[in-house]
Amino acid sequence: MSESVILVKNREVVVPGQPLAKGRFKLGRDVYRDDSGIIRAKKLGLADIKEDTVSVVPLSGVYIPKEGDIVIGVVSRISGSTIIVDIRSPYQGVIPIPRGRATERVDMRKYNLKLGDVILAKVKAFDGSSSLLLTIDMEGLGKLEGGYILEVEPAKVPRVIGKRQSMLTILKEKTRSDIIVGNNGRIWVRSPSLKELLALEKALRKIETESHVSGLSDRVSSFLTQELSD
Amino acid sequence: MPLYVEKKPEVLITEDGVRTDGRKPYEMRPVRMTVGILDKADGSAFIEWGGNKILAAVFGPREVHPKHLVLPDKALVRARYNMAPFSTPERKRPGPDRRSVELSKVIREALKPAIFVENYPGSVIDIFIEVLRSDAGTRVAGVNAASLALANAGIAMRGLVAACAVGRVGDFVVCDPNHDEDMWGDADMPMAMLMEAEEITLLQTDGPMTEEQFREALKLGRNAIRFLYEMQKEALRRPYQVVERSVRGVV
Repeated sequence: MSESVILVKNREVVVPGQPLAKGRFKLGRDVYRDDSGIIRAKKLGLADIKEDTVSVVPLSGVYIPKEGDIVIGVVSRISGSTIIVDIRSPYQGVIPIPRGRATERVDMRKYNLKLGDVILAKVKAFDGSSSLLLTIDMEGLGKLEGGYILEVEPAKVPRVIGKRQSMLTILKEKTRSDIIVGNNGRIWVRSPSLKELLALEKALRKIETESHVSGLSDRVSSFLTQELSD
Repeated sequence: MPLYVEKKPEVLITEDGVRTDGRKPYEMRPVRMTVGILDKADGSAFIEWGGNKILAAVFGPREVHPKHLVLPDKALVRARYNMAPFSTPERKRPGPDRRSVELSKVIREALKPAIFVENYPGSVIDIFIEVLRSDAGTRVAGVNAASLALANAGIAMRGLVAACAVGRVGDFVVCDPNHDEDMWGDADMPMAMLMEAEEITLLQTDGPMTEEQFREALKLGRNAIRFLYEMQKEALRRPYQVVERSVRGVV
């Protein structure tokens, strides 16, 4: 193949269709190779070039489930043998209620759910279109009692967690709260008081709007210190 | 007595090629594009082009209703072009009419090739185009705005779609016909291209043109579309640059 050229700066905002690179690169996420061999962005996002892989980190978009994801869902329907869960996605989650001999192995109290209950679940299987199987049959999964649900754009979830959970640690320590972040952009919080909850909400909005500007952790950290000082 | 009387200008274009609004044949009316102005939509854009003011909103990919419309292997794309009752000089009867049904169809078909529909099987992408004020060339303005709204919604696309109309007034091929030229001009040709491949995704013609005039119109349209594409890119990046500047304290 012809020589390899990179056509954008790393972490530059790119638009769909924008040429990113040419030549011997691996295709990362949210890019495609056109008929003439140019690698182009699929989405509005930040160009991300690591060694020989070209990707785009999207700046917006709905949640598309992936196997192994942890999501926070709301029970939207219970029909006989299945529990239908809304996970803020084009696809509805389904949890089959164990029956027969299977009931001996699982904690059946977990399946005693009502409409509107908030649950922490794991994506067990997803075929990419219609069937989205969730499970709560694991330690730590199941109904979330008390607390509040906050939401962020699903595309910003990696920013809320940060590298090696750095951002999440800042949020937890500064607000002295229990926080669980779902991959679908729902965040469960139990804070010592309303003040911390409101500060956290503001911090999340800050993360959402400023995620593309470097030095985010430091800004969020000092922002929370300031918010919670008096 | 009607409140507003249409008056045909005596000359649509002078021998020197000066148009009723003072433009040269190849000049476009002023355009302004803004992205992400609606809170509740997944993606949105607002375009002002000449006297046009058009909002575009995108919802999705989301669950399909009614269920029987679901496509198992790709996303369904729906588009609705609608004119507000107050968008025209005389009140327009609300609701879809023959014209807006056609425009919805051509706009949907202009945008669909840009979307990676196979990435979102079993879901729907809804595009709404609301004309708040109309002044010739609303369909192409709508396509530009809708394309921005799709990108703003974070939908996977092959590229942006940019669109512009061209026309003929007498012996002149003109870019971006205005209201007068749209009403009394000789030909009108809206076109849209999927960038950067410049594949034509919309091409309609109303009125006669010679082959030579058609070729000239196509070339003029392509150049206009390239310009609009640059504006689209700028409009999509602008909100992020604004935040970056304010965070870094640069004014």
